[in-house]
Amino acid sequence: MLIDPSNSHCQFIIGDSEPFFIRLYSLTVLLKSPHQELEDLIKKIKTRLILSPEAEEFLYSISKEKTLRKGEVLIRQGQVVKNTFFVSAGCLRSYCTDKNGKENTLLFAIKDWWISDYIAIHTDELATLTVECLTESKVIEFNAKELDGIHSLFPEFEPYQRHNLERHVVSLHRRILNQLQLSAADRYDLFLKQYPEIEQNTRNFHIASYLGITQQSLSRIRAEKVRK
Amino acid sequence: MKALQIVSYGEIKDSLVFNELSKPAVQSNDVLIEVKAAAINPIDKSIILGNLQGMLPIPLPSTSAYDVSGIVLEKGDGVSNFEIGDLVYSRVPQEQMGTLAEYVAVDSAAVSKKPGNISFEEAASIPLAGLTAFQSLEAAGIKKDDRVLIHAGSGGVGSLAIQYAKAQGAFVYTTTSTTNLAWVKALGADRVIDYKTEDYMSIAKDVDIVFDTLGQNYSLESFEVVKQGGIVISVVGPLDEASAKMLGMSDYKLPEALAKASSDRKADYKFILMHPNGAHLNEIKSLIEDEKIKPIIDKVYPFSESVEAFTHLATGRAKGKIVVKVS
Ligand SMILES: NC(=O)c1ccc[n+]([C@@H]2O[C@H](COP(=O)([O-])OP(=O)(O)OC[C@H]3O[C@@H](n4cnc5c(N)ncnc54)[C@H](OP(=O)(O)O)[C@@H]3O)[C@@H](O)[C@H]2O)c1
Repeated sequence: MLIDPSNSHCQFIIGDSEPFFIRLYSLTVLLKSPHQELEDLIKKIKTRLILSPEAEEFLYSISKEKTLRKGEVLIRQGQVVKNTFFVSAGCLRSYCTDKNGKENTLLFAIKDWWISDYIAIHTDELATLTVECLTESKVIEFNAKELDGIHSLFPEFEPYQRHNLERHVVSLHRRILNQLQLSAADRYDLFLKQYPEIEQNTRNFHIASYLGITQQSLSRIRAEKVRK
Repeated sequence: MKALQIVSYGEIKDSLVFNELSKPAVQSNDVLIEVKAAAINPIDKSIILGNLQGMLPIPLPSTSAYDVSGIVLEKGDGVSNFEIGDLVYSRVPQEQMGTLAEYVAVDSAAVSKKPGNISFEEAASIPLAGLTAFQSLEAAGIKKDDRVLIHAGSGGVGSLAIQYAKAQGAFVYTTTSTTNLAWVKALGADRVIDYKTEDYMSIAKDVDIVFDTLGQNYSLESFEVVKQGGIVISVVGPLDEASAKMLGMSDYKLPEALAKASSDRKADYKFILMHPNGAHLNEIKSLIEDEKIKPIIDKVYPFSESVEAFTHLATGRAKGKIVVKVS
């Protein structure tokens, strides 16, 4: 966002009676507007489509930036899901708890990924998944229904949403095939190659539950790699 | 709701009855847990037999057991650390005893989220025994390279204490009988002593810590194997003066022989009374998720066979924990 000179803060900064460092400080505070993350996302969106000021305004109206603590839960299995999240920083995980109480990790999400419970959003069922922060994270929370319907208000969005959806389908299909075809060791290798930054932010049990193997098998695979 | 209640003191079979009760009411700091699994402990058996009437006056009928895992169904106004739907485990406070039931209300301070990598049955097996192991070894000031003797390594408490001591980097001696040697060794114990064929006192010598989970002659004998400046921690031996005071016996004195052994050896004696604590359970949760500790289950009984679970416990031969699957 540009600084609006009619804004009283700006006049305070521009007025030259203030010592330099106070002006500098106020300027940095102002520049770090509360919409920094959304502005960055909008910049990214703008590389793919021409965004009208109205559409941009709409995005502001249906979103909220949030800084989250490690362990914070955004979606809870069994509850109503209203939001979808764009990750600006940190690492999140979606998982499903089976009837015995064990967690199975569906996906991790890091910077520039979207995460939510899409089953719940698209079927109007209660959440099948829990979404939690594995590290301190920054997300932009969007009202999922409104974001979903954005293309009916602003048709320019359609290709962008389709592109995201396609990428999501590709990655899910890959994940399913890898699960069916690759050995546990190969799946782990691939995971390391694709997402080295996730490995650094997660615990053993998160990775094992993502790969669908026991923690002992994961330790064995790791030990094997060290020996190679 | 269905609940297994103690209706009289005495033989297990005569004292336990399934009753139909109303759901417990939730106080401001409570969560209401839908019970998935409960675990039983020697204390539950002692209560039923009436051995603890003096120390723990319990109105009859009362629902049995303290260990639980399940799902948060409701919460009081004062609860901020849990949400409806959270998967939790707990050793419930004394006043809220009664986990062998479909629902139990529990002070949220005694509750923790359950470890995500284990089942409800496994999670229920942890709290009481895990807190006992954790609080006892912490009270002993356990640290890396300490030499520790843990009695009854195959018991509910012992099997978790071995793993906790190993996670702290200690060298662990433990005692058990022949049939349990292999799996107890696999928990990480450095030297498993077969009490049927070996004399533990000639093997574990000058240790830093003795964890006495047997009582009787073992409490006194501990001072023959602990080193000068070491510590004997007991959960079954005579009360020490501090815990007697806590139980309202202010003029209590440590038995003379024990006091003398302790001062001759210049080694402390401490009795630990396990206390419910959600934060401690949370630490244990991390250790479980990092596979430093794994639950050891002897047998899981269906709710309808809870009485059989108690008969099994009463043999004193459990290998790890006895669990009841409630729903
Ligand atoms: N103070 C507290 O707050 C507190 C808290 C928890 C527990 N406790 C007490 O601590 C004790 C242990 O509890 P727990 O839950 O671990 O009991 P448990 O699981 O019922 O203990 C059974 C185990 O003890 C072993 N054992 C029996 N006699 C032994 C001996 N002479 N030497 C070595 N091992 C022996 C048995 O192994 P074998 O079959 O091989 O003999 C069996 O595996 C109980 O008395 C309990 O009341 C106190």
